Amino acid sequence: MAFLDNSGDIILDAVLTDTGRMRMAKGDGSFKITKFALGDDEINYKLFDGTATTGEQDLQIMSTPILEAFSNNTSGMKSKLISLANNPGLYMPVIRENNKVDATTGPTSNDYNTWLCAVDAETQGYTSSGGDTTGDLVKALGDYSAGDFFKVGVLTGFQGAGPYIMVDQGIDSGEDGPSAVSAISAELYESQYLIEMDSRLCSLISSDASTTAAVSFIDDDQIASYYLSQAVNTTFVETNPGAGKPEASQQVIGGPRGSRLMFAIRASLNLQTSVALFTRLGSTFTTPGSPNPAQTYFYIDSNIRVTGVTTGSRVDIPIRFCKWKETA
Amino acid sequence: MATTFKNILSTDMATTRTLLHEAIPITGTIVSGTYEDKNIKYYAHGMFESVYDYPYLSSSANRIFDLTYGYSSGLSAPANPQNDEKLNIYSEMSLVLMGTDGTGSIQEFDRDGDIVGGGEKMNACIFICYARLLTKDEIKKGSYTFSFIDGSLGLKTLGDYGAQTDYRVNSPAGEYGLLYTSSVGPDYGDPVGHLYYQAGIAVITASDGIWPNASQSAWIDTNSITGACDDVRNMWVDNNLQNTTELNSTIYFCRADSGEFNYSSNDTYLTQSKIIVKNDDASANPQSYITTIGLYSADNELLATAKLSEPVEKNPTNSLIFRVRLDY
Repeated sequence: MAFLDNSGDIILDAVLTDTGRMRMAKGDGSFKITKFALGDDEINYKLFDGTATTGEQDLQIMSTPILEAFSNNTSGMKSKLISLANNPGLYMPVIRENNKVDATTGPTSNDYNTWLCAVDAETQGYTSSGGDTTGDLVKALGDYSAGDFFKVGVLTGFQGAGPYIMVDQGIDSGEDGPSAVSAISAELYESQYLIEMDSRLCSLISSDASTTAAVSFIDDDQIASYYLSQAVNTTFVETNPGAGKPEASQQVIGGPRGSRLMFAIRASLNLQTSVALFTRLGSTFTTPGSPNPAQTYFYIDSNIRVTGVTTGSRVDIPIRFCKWKETA
Repeated sequence: MATTFKNILSTDMATTRTLLHEAIPITGTIVSGTYEDKNIKYYAHGMFESVYDYPYLSSSANRIFDLTYGYSSGLSAPANPQNDEKLNIYSEMSLVLMGTDGTGSIQEFDRDGDIVGGGEKMNACIFICYARLLTKDEIKKGSYTFSFIDGSLGLKTLGDYGAQTDYRVNSPAGEYGLLYTSSVGPDYGDPVGHLYYQAGIAVITASDGIWPNASQSAWIDTNSITGACDDVRNMWVDNNLQNTTELNSTIYFCRADSGEFNYSSNDTYLTQSKIIVKNDDASANPQSYITTIGLYSADNELLATAKLSEPVEKNPTNSLIFRVRLDY
């Protein structure tokens, strides 16, 4: 996309997104605009110069060139503007991935510094008789035993419960900000989350693998959107147990804490049974080979995006889908 | 409750219809000369020829119109070259453009358009069928002129003079105007053809010798259809018309009131959780910078996006209305 001409009057460049065109083509009435949001994707607020004189503080921000509109519905409106009824003072809530709880520390322990998802029985080390598999990803990653999913951050994408992804919301203030014992205001409490992921690769399940989340819709790029609210999806969203408490050992939010989102993923049938997507979208990697034999795996790197529906803050969680290929 | 969306009320929407006109010049050098007829496509069936704006073997060439010739059964003679094809062309054109009478018989082109009143018919015609690329939704009434060499007299110009207020509606193909050789009103002289605005077809009589460099009898009993069409092309001097595109628009008025959209979920808006633009002053007004407007469905799918050519500051002291127009 090119930049918009900003040499004269302010102009507005409007386009339908690919999803908008798709819904219009369906002719089923699903193309109906009912709300709007404002975005500031191009703005770097760090350019705000608080030491400059009034009127010159945002000089660099105001001269930011703006790109033409993207027609891909997932490429635009990444950061939305927020309406708040009350002045929150100096602090706004954020969303952070929590890797400090036992079930979530795994990604910080493996060599890839990301969540790994074993997509089939062979890679997950699952057999109906309880025996080992050659391609067990956990064992191949290092000095681990079969079933050490938690230690090394391997999500059980084939079946069963295992490690899960945790996202905390709250005001991550420093020492001079509000403390963790303070309560977050109701206005800034996030009670609903939007989770977006590639539906070709995986689907969303609860952290204990007991519940499969209902997908809200899948767009033309196969991105599935799940809306989870604390009122309805109690197995996914809860109030942070550390809210109003000073404890910091298993928390990533330094100040007042809000809600907590927990979820796991299940690999798609396509990934479980075929290497087609791996060869098209991914590549292969080989594990170190010590102390267990080195194994080669197909992999696809993807992201899961978590957005707070109320506050608009978001976090992208990288994830690597792995499928055993052969012994190296 | 923090929000990122604002509903669009029914009073915030308006629909409009705009007619957009473009001027289309077709010079004689394109029709014959510049490209040494490499932009003329002939077909084995010989029923018409196509004129392109560039040698047609190039991928950047656009077909701009087709030329053909036909006559009615009264001029039929088995010995005429392409006698059946000329009859078929005439009957096809008259069926589409003039329709049938009460008995199901195809009506011939009535010279003055007064079918009920009878009168002279145009029983041999040149048909110029403009591509939709040029005419779009329709030709603008009163905008059409066609000039060609008039032998020793110089230039002859046909036009749909006065058609803004005087046109016919008794064709099954929509509205049509009468082509005259003189622009002097109110009596422009005898009509010499029809211009079908929605169909984008000019029908010019070949029966009364208005084509000075061609023999009318030769077109009937000596020339093929492409021979007649080539004669017309070689006489072509200039052709001008304006097309019409009917734009149906929905205008969405996106109102950001003083207390709305003053905060951002932009990743750079916060340092940890502290709002940068407040400059460590909790009572300071927040501000945000709008670059994008997203239009959403009820289920939060982005259906359209609009980009501003430069950032617009939003703070509690201002209120903004963005007028987003979507054309269909």
